[in-house]
Amino acid sequence: MKALLLSLLLVPALVLAQAPVIEISGANFRPLPLAAPAPVVQEGADRKSAQTFDSAFTYDLTASGIFQVLDRNSFTADAKEGMTAGSINFSRWADVGAESLVKVSLAQDGGALRGELRLFSVATGKEELKVAKDAPANEPRRLAHALADALYRHFTREPSPFLSRITYVRKAGSNRDVYVADWDGMGAQALTKGGTHILPTLSPSGQVAFTSYRKNRPDIYVQSPGGEAKALVTDGQMATGVAYSPDGKRIAYALAEGESAQIYVAAADGSGAKAVTDTPYGLNTSPTWSPDGKRIAFVSNRGGSPQVYVMNADGSGVKRLTFQGNYNQTPDWSPRGDLIAFTARDERNAFDLFTVNVDTGKVTRLTQDQGNNEEPTFSPNGRLIMFSTNRNGAAHLWVMTADGNNQVPLPMEKGSWLTPDWGTAPAAK
Amino acid sequence: MGMGGGKGGGGRTTMSEINVTPMVDVMLVLLIIFMVTAPLIQQGVKVNLPETKAAPVEATEKKVVLSIDAGKKVYIGDAEVALEELETKLAANAKAQADKEVYLHADRDVPYGVVVEVMAAAQRAGISNVGMITEPATGSKASNSGKAAPASSGKGKPKEAKR
Repeated sequence: MKALLLSLLLVPALVLAQAPVIEISGANFRPLPLAAPAPVVQEGADRKSAQTFDSAFTYDLTASGIFQVLDRNSFTADAKEGMTAGSINFSRWADVGAESLVKVSLAQDGGALRGELRLFSVATGKEELKVAKDAPANEPRRLAHALADALYRHFTREPSPFLSRITYVRKAGSNRDVYVADWDGMGAQALTKGGTHILPTLSPSGQVAFTSYRKNRPDIYVQSPGGEAKALVTDGQMATGVAYSPDGKRIAYALAEGESAQIYVAAADGSGAKAVTDTPYGLNTSPTWSPDGKRIAFVSNRGGSPQVYVMNADGSGVKRLTFQGNYNQTPDWSPRGDLIAFTARDERNAFDLFTVNVDTGKVTRLTQDQGNNEEPTFSPNGRLIMFSTNRNGAAHLWVMTADGNNQVPLPMEKGSWLTPDWGTAPAAK
Repeated sequence: MGMGGGKGGGGRTTMSEINVTPMVDVMLVLLIIFMVTAPLIQQGVKVNLPETKAAPVEATEKKVVLSIDAGKKVYIGDAEVALEELETKLAANAKAQADKEVYLHADRDVPYGVVVEVMAAAQRAGISNVGMITEPATGSKASNSGKAAPASSGKGKPKEAKR
């Protein structure tokens, strides 16, 4: 009761004291209605890069899950309206439902594209944020991600996912190749060319480890973008599914020998490998680290069917985490620590995504009746989950909020995209 | 994620806290009063409104206001919109779509057919409720010239009557 009273007294005071922080989770969450008109193109900047900027910027805001980006078809503001509070007719923005208005102007400055972003509160007409960022003129998407990140931070006081990197596999014919790309899947760079390379994972330092069949059996290799692949783990009959600890100093992977597969933990260079599971006939695979690096979740069929288990990183304290269904796999531990996302196959043979709370065991369904949805991976801030889905035919990568809302496809061209992995930290470019 | 409220158990201990329930009630009532009396500023185009004896409806929040002036020009707020565009603009309008409601503010000299066309466009855009803004029939009406001019500072706030 005291807390209620306190919150009643405090909330109005906080609202008056500072700009609102969007509360992203909980039952009261409502996306912020945001008007984002097309950028104003100043002298020098060309229209094509402005369009590229615009689509990347709008995508970031839309997919973030915290904004309701308003339909430009509804806008009634004068097309020649200015960038400053004095020249903006705020009532026209209020009429279309906007609570915030974000305006961007783009100008070319030598070899750099300069973007200036201004954020206004529609109710008060006040300018709440003004930032300028530069990017090479041929990288308008990078500028878009940087400005969208500034806006996201303003509202949430948290880093956005927009500057992070992902890795994934492209299936083309009989080839499976590993790519690294920006968070939205664009600007992709191929690491391998031809052959079978699967299950890539990004290390905190931006390297990619993956399972490769170049020796006709699965081994683990590691590669920097633009570099050569180096063998990391070639022991056993099959080495698969590597995961980096959050500090990047250790790896965990599954190694099959005979009729069993065990989880091993080794230094990041593959040295000092030590088995941390020991089930004579069971399969233990798909390790994923807790954000503090102290625990590992993994899949084991020791109880008869594949289920998600949690143990300490030294193999002690094993605890079964999922009890529903008879086929749960590909866990990914949220960087916030509370949830593990996983894929479950139900009795209709459809794959769907769920999260399980590590402490309470509470399971939450994220997808349903939308084709197969697999391979969840959390964004570095834990707010979003990327996954592969065949809901529109071919396999494609989609992203949604961690509670399963706002599911949107990545803006990549058609193709067959699989097994995304989201970096654990924004890569330094 | 454990949003759980109070703790259960331990029901036998003596209550030593001040009973704050009445205070919370007072606070809530105050809050509601503030919400109700929050200033209601409807923007739009100044038009010569018809007078009716219909009971006014108290609006608690701002709605999208459509206006038709004596020259049959249509406005969303104070922005002029071609009649052909009205449906698209309203269908995309997050505010109108969330409320499913707009207010219509038509000059008394506008032919009935034009009002119906605007209402039909709103209906096609998925707006199920069109509130008609009228002037209360007091007899003490200021002599407004029939001309309408876009103005955002309309003094003499109109009362809304829904039907």
